[in-house]
Amino acid sequence: MSIETFFQLYGYAALIVIIAISLYGIVRGASLIKKLIALTILGDTANAFMIYLGFRFGRQYPPVLPTLKPTPEQIAWFTSVAVDPVPQCLVITAIVINMAITMFLAFLIIQTYRLYGTTMVKRITKLKG
Amino acid sequence: MRIKEVVTGIMAAAFLFVIIVTIIFGSTGWTPSTEIRPLAKFYLENCFNVFNRTWWTASPEAVTSMLWDYRGIDTYYETSVFFLAVISGVALFRIAEIKLGTKKKELGLSIIVKTVTRLIFPLIIIVSISVAFHGNLTPGGGFQAGAIFAVAPLLLIAAFSRHYLEENIKLTKDKCLTLRTIGLTAITLIIALPVLAGALTLMQNQAKPWSPFFSFPEVVGPVWTSGTLFFLNVAEFLAVGAGFTLLFLLLSIPEEEFKRVFGL
Repeated sequence: MSIETFFQLYGYAALIVIIAISLYGIVRGASLIKKLIALTILGDTANAFMIYLGFRFGRQYPPVLPTLKPTPEQIAWFTSVAVDPVPQCLVITAIVINMAITMFLAFLIIQTYRLYGTTMVKRITKLKG
Repeated sequence: MRIKEVVTGIMAAAFLFVIIVTIIFGSTGWTPSTEIRPLAKFYLENCFNVFNRTWWTASPEAVTSMLWDYRGIDTYYETSVFFLAVISGVALFRIAEIKLGTKKKELGLSIIVKTVTRLIFPLIIIVSISVAFHGNLTPGGGFQAGAIFAVAPLLLIAAFSRHYLEENIKLTKDKCLTLRTIGLTAITLIIALPVLAGALTLMQNQAKPWSPFFSFPEVVGPVWTSGTLFFLNVAEFLAVGAGFTLLFLLLSIPEEEFKRVFGL
């Protein structure tokens, strides 16, 4: 196994472990706040995973052309070294939308707490009326 | 109870198994090591190809040119998701009227924190504006700039108080709503403008082979605007920054106000 493959697999393994932990948190979290924290971890891991898929081992360059008056050679060089811009583009919007959704869920949880006095899932399900 | 736990465990294990299998057998797509996908190659080659302008977007930043040109409609829908999330938050926390307290007592944290916040506040604003205005040339853009901008009011709320933000900075809930609406209206106008001018596609930035009649100028005076990208970035900056500020303002409504309104 080359060192390149090792690091690639190591990255995937780390991401999968974090996904497992966050899934456990979402399913087994006692409080709604804990479930929300686990959900944000899951979303961020998914984003990191997407960026990782677009990575280019060996020769990385950000997908920004450094000049406004390029030559054909510069464009060819740029295409041969820049990382994949597609996942980055998906992740830019995903992060902000994730933040907005998280804030909306936080609003809901705060409102639940104000009305029922608890965020524990078991107690909320036992409430009547 | 026992069966439920077993089922949840099996489901989580199955989910993880599927993820691992897709990665190992490469069905998430070709996971490259040194080469990139043909689609990415197309974007990198064409986004600032000054020699063959058939598919170019006039921006040397591949990510921004995809965000607001190649996949522009998708970003527009993402903006509307953001809009809906903000609107739902406002609707949830709609209470009759928030009275500004007339407390003379010092609110907020210690003088050290306040001084540092006073120094940092304008710097954050300047950085966010710079990121928004250079979004079509350097890494950055409307979304990132808006997220950076929203940190500044949050810092003020934490270090001073909500009243300081509303009375001294004059950044109230209504102003944030207005700013956000201006940003969204500007985005909609920029999207609709090419169609009104005779183009065949919504959100047209540069002339396309099927719609060659209309393209925005890539340079306005001394400023490289990359057609619509510059304006869309600035409008998105307004929408996202003001939207997040609005949410932070709502989150920092004092608990007593809610107790008074709900009669708890």
